[in-house]
Amino acid sequence: MHGNQWVRAILRSAVLLLAATALLGVLYPLAVCAVATAAFPAQATGSLIAVDGVTYGSALVGQPFREPGHLWGRPTVADASTFTTEDGERLLWYGPENLSPASDEFAERVAARVEAVRAAHPDQGDTPVPSELVTVSGSGFDPHISPAAAEYQVGRVAVACGRTEEEVRAIIRQCTERPLLGAIGEARVNVLKVNLMLDGIL
Amino acid sequence: MSAEVSAALFTAAAYGALLVACAVPLSGYLVNVMEGRQARARRIVGPVERGAFRLLRVNPDDSMGWKRYLVCVVAFTGVSIAGLFVLLVAQGALPANPEGFGGLPADTALNMAVSFATNTDWQAVAGESHLSYLSQAAGLAVQNFLSPAVGIAVAFALMRGLWSAGDGRLGNFFADVVRVTLCVLLPLSLVLSIALASQGVPQTFQGYETVQLLEPVAVDEAGTVVAADDPAAVEEVTEAVVPLGPQASQVAIKQLGTNGGGFNGANSASALENPTPLANLLECLAILLLPFTLILSFGRMVADRRQGRALLACVLILLAAGTAVLVGAEFQATPQLSQDGAVYTGSLSQAAGNMEGKECRIGTAGSAIWTAFTTAAANGSTNASLEGLTPIGTLVPLVFMGLGEVVGGGAGTGLAALVGFAVLTVFIASLMVGRTPEYLGKKIGPTEMRAAVVMVTAPALVILLAAAGLCLAPAGAVPVGEGGPAGFAEVLYAAVSAGANNGSALAGLDADAPLVNIVLAGAMVAGRLIPVACALGLAGSLARREPVAAGPGSLSTASPLFVFLLLMIIVLVGALTLLPALALGPLAEQLGTLA
Repeated sequence: MHGNQWVRAILRSAVLLLAATALLGVLYPLAVCAVATAAFPAQATGSLIAVDGVTYGSALVGQPFREPGHLWGRPTVADASTFTTEDGERLLWYGPENLSPASDEFAERVAARVEAVRAAHPDQGDTPVPSELVTVSGSGFDPHISPAAAEYQVGRVAVACGRTEEEVRAIIRQCTERPLLGAIGEARVNVLKVNLMLDGIL
Repeated sequence: MSAEVSAALFTAAAYGALLVACAVPLSGYLVNVMEGRQARARRIVGPVERGAFRLLRVNPDDSMGWKRYLVCVVAFTGVSIAGLFVLLVAQGALPANPEGFGGLPADTALNMAVSFATNTDWQAVAGESHLSYLSQAAGLAVQNFLSPAVGIAVAFALMRGLWSAGDGRLGNFFADVVRVTLCVLLPLSLVLSIALASQGVPQTFQGYETVQLLEPVAVDEAGTVVAADDPAAVEEVTEAVVPLGPQASQVAIKQLGTNGGGFNGANSASALENPTPLANLLECLAILLLPFTLILSFGRMVADRRQGRALLACVLILLAAGTAVLVGAEFQATPQLSQDGAVYTGSLSQAAGNMEGKECRIGTAGSAIWTAFTTAAANGSTNASLEGLTPIGTLVPLVFMGLGEVVGGGAGTGLAALVGFAVLTVFIASLMVGRTPEYLGKKIGPTEMRAAVVMVTAPALVILLAAAGLCLAPAGAVPVGEGGPAGFAEVLYAAVSAGANNGSALAGLDADAPLVNIVLAGAMVAGRLIPVACALGLAGSLARREPVAAGPGSLSTASPLFVFLLLMIIVLVGALTLLPALALGPLAEQLGTLA
């Protein structure tokens, strides 16, 4: 093996890396940007829900809900230490729980969540609490809950926001997406959309 | 078996069938591209390809010997690490940084540069909160193209060595990398990224969006969310952030190139990276598409397609076994979750089983299948929190990675490892019946055996050394999330993930500690370059051997018997190296839940 063989290989590698960076690191994402913003403008910019100039969130990012008149989502592990606005105002962001579901700490947290959920839903009595109301999702900001988890809350939400249970169910149905071809993925309720409709915003 | 488990296994089988159906035609195309005889693609990308060859001053017909090929791989990997390191350290002073992120500390940047250049994509820090758009698109995403291209180039060098007529030549490294990138990786990524954007994966260069929270939350001094009436509450937070950026273009190649490093820390569990069941299906299939394609290309390259099918059969058996165990485990809720029946974990109007760490739209089945696929291939992207898996669920990814990238594995490197195991199997099987070992008409001598044995055992050695190193570190240097067997599992998982170039993680371990960064960077380089060097050495040695005609006593390497033997050897080597470590981690934890 000769020294100049290494030098040539390194020089060629550097040229290849630079050319690849221009093509794959600049032109490729810009081309996808151009196509995506032209063909799917809402999706390509974060599926934001804006009404009368106020952006209430993204349909793909869940928010913490605990008011009785709102549908509750998955428990979130939120913090306001990661992001701030330009003027230093704190912004909320999320992370996963990262606990083994076989650990004692996990058992304690779930027990506390079950207790809190049951206390807020006296109408449900001893009905088992749907699992998604007491488990944190993989991202920590799951925008959805299952139809079972939504149905569990209907009584409480209806009383708190002065609607009939049927009205609440109708809103939930409007915000429910079905699995692909009836088999792939799960049926899911978009929690933010339901709450915007309950509040009369959407 | 419950109805949900059977339905999930049926889905997994359908995924497998779909993958094979796509890999068959793609493997023919790939071989034509790499051998420089694809007329249709050439008409479109031909001018670009010729321009690239002129720019690089490369003659694609200048076929290299194994040492020169290896020099090119090492040089290119080194230059890639250096380039990415500089970009990450300097990102604060560079454009396309709307959030104004500063440069990464040197140890983090080194870990990340090594990680992406070796096709591992282990991420010490979350992308959305540490990396500028430039670092993501022009740094990480570029390596997401080039590192699998290097792997595929090495695989083709190995295949040429097996099939050459004795001239010792393995092809031209730079021509291989350019061809596979332009004709295969780029077109596939373009199609997938636009499909993903249609489903809701963001693709924009505008900065992050700030949105109004419907319910403001109270936080304490440190920014942790507390109850509104908590005395520690100091501030009300009324707005949240929505990270955007050129995500679709990066997620596509992250999935296709067995990379796995997400734009966001939550990877494809984030609904921004993986918004719908259709997106999840496409991303999940993309994980194993190239590994399967390469295995079938092997049959075409050695002019006997049964050889590729035999290797694929072996991979499919291992994949099916692991997927079945993982799916079965995740549909079982742990006692800690079910709380004596207070929590409903059945399947009526919801996903059944262990939904901790899983997303509602994807469900238990979708998460379990993905997790099996992503660790079978050396991809490492996740659509659930792996820390949230049941202990037996954690075992499957560990075994898949610990087997040494053979169940699909990394783009190219997976095939190379599989061929290494095949050579080892041929040797052992031939000795048992007292014949001279030969594979595909080439005699297997001491040189080939040395290369094959080092290739199949090096990743395990690297893994165990890295795990031992992290365990011997002084207290506090390795910040694990949990104590006891679960903590050991986190450390072991990190070492396995780095050594096997996978990149997935049990995220309870706070991976951004200097010692962890440096030990894992070393493991990633060794886990990448040692097997690559062995594969090229094996190829070079085989390429100099004259092919011999198969006689009546030759062992058929396309028969079910050979597939069985190969399986046994893979399982035996994997079990012997990793079983003791696994017993201390996930197995001990699972037994603990029963106590």
